Amino acid sequence: MSEILGLKAKLGLDVFKHDKEPHIKIKPGMEKDPRLKRAVLVCPAGLYEEKEDGRVELTIDGCLECGTCRIACGTEVLEWYYPSGGAGVQFRFG
Amino acid sequence: MEEKFDAIIVGAGLAGLGAAYTLAQEGLEVLLLERGDYPGSKNVTGGRLYLNPIRDLFPDLWKKAPFERHITQEGVSVMAGARSLNISYRGEELEQEPYQSYSILRAKFDRWLSKQAERKGAMLVSRSRVDDLIIENGRVEGVYAGGDELRSQVVIACDGVLSMMAEKAGLRKPGSAKEFGVGYKEIIELDSALINDRFGLEGDEGAARLFMGEVTKGKFGGGFLYTNKESISLGIVVGIQDLMEGAPAVQAPVLLDEFKQRPEVARLIKGGETVEYSAHVIPEGGLKSLTKLSGDGILVAGDAAGFSMNIGVTVRGMEYAMASGYYAAQAVIQAKAREDFSAASLAAYESMLGESFVMKDFKNFSEAPEALDNHRIYTYYPELAGNIMRDMYNVPAGSKERLYPTVKKYLGLGELWPMFKDMRKVMKI
Amino acid sequence: MNIVVAMKQIPDLQQIRIRQRQPVLDGVPAALGIIDKNALEAAVLLKEEEGGQVIVLSAGNEEVEETVKEALAAGADQAFLVLDDSIENADGSLKAPILAEAIKKIDDVGLILFGEGSGDNYSGQLGSRVAELLGLPQVGYASRIQIQDSQAIITRSLEDGDELVKVTMPVVVSVLGDINEPRIPSVTQILKAGRKPKEVLELDELELDLSGLPQIKTLSNLAPETNRKQVKVGSVEELIQALKTEGVI
Repeated sequence: MSEILGLKAKLGLDVFKHDKEPHIKIKPGMEKDPRLKRAVLVCPAGLYEEKEDGRVELTIDGCLECGTCRIACGTEVLEWYYPSGGAGVQFRFG
Repeated sequence: MEEKFDAIIVGAGLAGLGAAYTLAQEGLEVLLLERGDYPGSKNVTGGRLYLNPIRDLFPDLWKKAPFERHITQEGVSVMAGARSLNISYRGEELEQEPYQSYSILRAKFDRWLSKQAERKGAMLVSRSRVDDLIIENGRVEGVYAGGDELRSQVVIACDGVLSMMAEKAGLRKPGSAKEFGVGYKEIIELDSALINDRFGLEGDEGAARLFMGEVTKGKFGGGFLYTNKESISLGIVVGIQDLMEGAPAVQAPVLLDEFKQRPEVARLIKGGETVEYSAHVIPEGGLKSLTKLSGDGILVAGDAAGFSMNIGVTVRGMEYAMASGYYAAQAVIQAKAREDFSAASLAAYESMLGESFVMKDFKNFSEAPEALDNHRIYTYYPELAGNIMRDMYNVPAGSKERLYPTVKKYLGLGELWPMFKDMRKVMKI
Repeated sequence: MNIVVAMKQIPDLQQIRIRQRQPVLDGVPAALGIIDKNALEAAVLLKEEEGGQVIVLSAGNEEVEETVKEALAAGADQAFLVLDDSIENADGSLKAPILAEAIKKIDDVGLILFGEGSGDNYSGQLGSRVAELLGLPQVGYASRIQIQDSQAIITRSLEDGDELVKVTMPVVVSVLGDINEPRIPSVTQILKAGRKPKEVLELDELELDLSGLPQIKTLSNLAPETNRKQVKVGSVEELIQALKTEGVI
């Protein structure tokens, strides 16, 4: 699916603090797992993208840490942690 | 080994803060660990807090609390594709103190509440992620955080809807998509005078609106709007199962964009500037999806335990969070007095919760998740209501049909039977 | 020997948002200057080798008492604070005499460390001003500090080379941001930080004549105007697409 209009600008309004490593990773070899395709639909930040060859790619920048992908896809396909202390999104309103 | 705390609380959301405040007030040694920059920095609400159920649990707290507005106006919009039916409610009881509910912003509210807990003597360490539980001989003895080993008599897991602590303690499994919704929203900054004008409010009065139907394209869920002092919280809650199954396949952010463009909504937020976008999973499985609430050396409170409930007209979680935090703290206080922190002693938490509004609500509304899991509620009925209204208000060029037959043609026998069945389900709520 | 590290309380820069070209500071959490943390780390590393005490020195409003905990957690042994609301937004000309006066009250000072510039204004003046007021030598752009008896050997990283200098202590040194990687304190260290000694002075206890200061007045503090993005479009469709991507339509 193509990039969602205006979404990047919206995410750009939030404060994100850098983490050393991505806190969510697609487990190696699972890139084409059908469960991952759910993440493309459910992620409110639109960070999962299905490529032409059927692989799903995740861009961690802009992650709102909502947990939806962990619920939808499960931990068999995703390695899912919270970012380390003080890293990741910091809501100013919430 | 360093000092041993009476309690270590994982997560400084409303459950954790409710627990920390209560424990510290009684002079217990409590350590509160928060992974965000400050309490509230990782939290999202719709959001409004209903005060009545929890007012007396924290009697000294409310006077100076940084609420946004007290809600004096309730609204529901039933949205069909091209029309909507809007119901608005005002009542004098909503305009009188003590007010029933307030809109809040979590980054402000939780941070303030954490200061109150610290003043009572709770030790708060922010920017600290708990990585694991210390479990020895089957008993939770503390937590590992950033390489540190921190020990306590009890760990209270208030680490939110995904509660990895409860998972690690074997009190819950990750859960299925059917039991969770995702809420996401924008904060749209708008001059307070303009907000008052548009919603017909005065001073710190606030409005709350729910939207159902076309908003979620027939998926389980709806839209919400709350007025804050100088902003509007506008968002969507949608069932994760429905969202991921597609039919129709629509990406979550698109739902919110289209919601914002609905004329009913667009004119309310016109000229406003979005200043934040946030999202969070919400437990919606009700009574059946609650985790085990206590184990050896551990208690679970707030979203971590599944204490959040969608009954259609209200989605509530924050009162349950604060109350369950309070009762968890009470159980620890009693255990400390008895000098008995065994699993049996800590299980007093469950009996106290059972007596409280928390478990009573969950039992009263145990049928709600199933009754609301009915696609007709989100597609068929909104269209039906819209069409009846259209025909009732329509004045054609020729003569107008009598009102009763106008309505009756939508309510033939073939329609009434499935409606009756839906009604029977909804009546269980 | 004691090492004094001057640290400035600044708003957490990442949390500041811009509204109508003005920074919104309301509710923004306080933090310590970014390069100041490198100065602290340098001091703690030296202490771990040579012994002595690391004393963090800060002047600002009452919030500093809380903010400085971060430094105490990251290895400082004690804090010396001068608190007054009027200092919070003071510039270098005002801060320098305050810090210099405070340093005079600390015994056996060998090194006085600064970050090369503060995290918010980055005027980079304070180290030099304090050195002048105390009549001490000053070394800037430090990327390495070693101690040999009563002397400090300092590498200065300059644009086109390194300069190695030797100076008799006490000396004021300002360090560069890449001198080290500041440690992240553990929960236990943060908890212990609350119990470390803090000496707190009110500004009027310093008996300073600050009349005629500050000499620099900030007239405006505006975010830059957003530049045009200069996106080339070849067709109406591309234009619409581009506008939508920006969220304009």
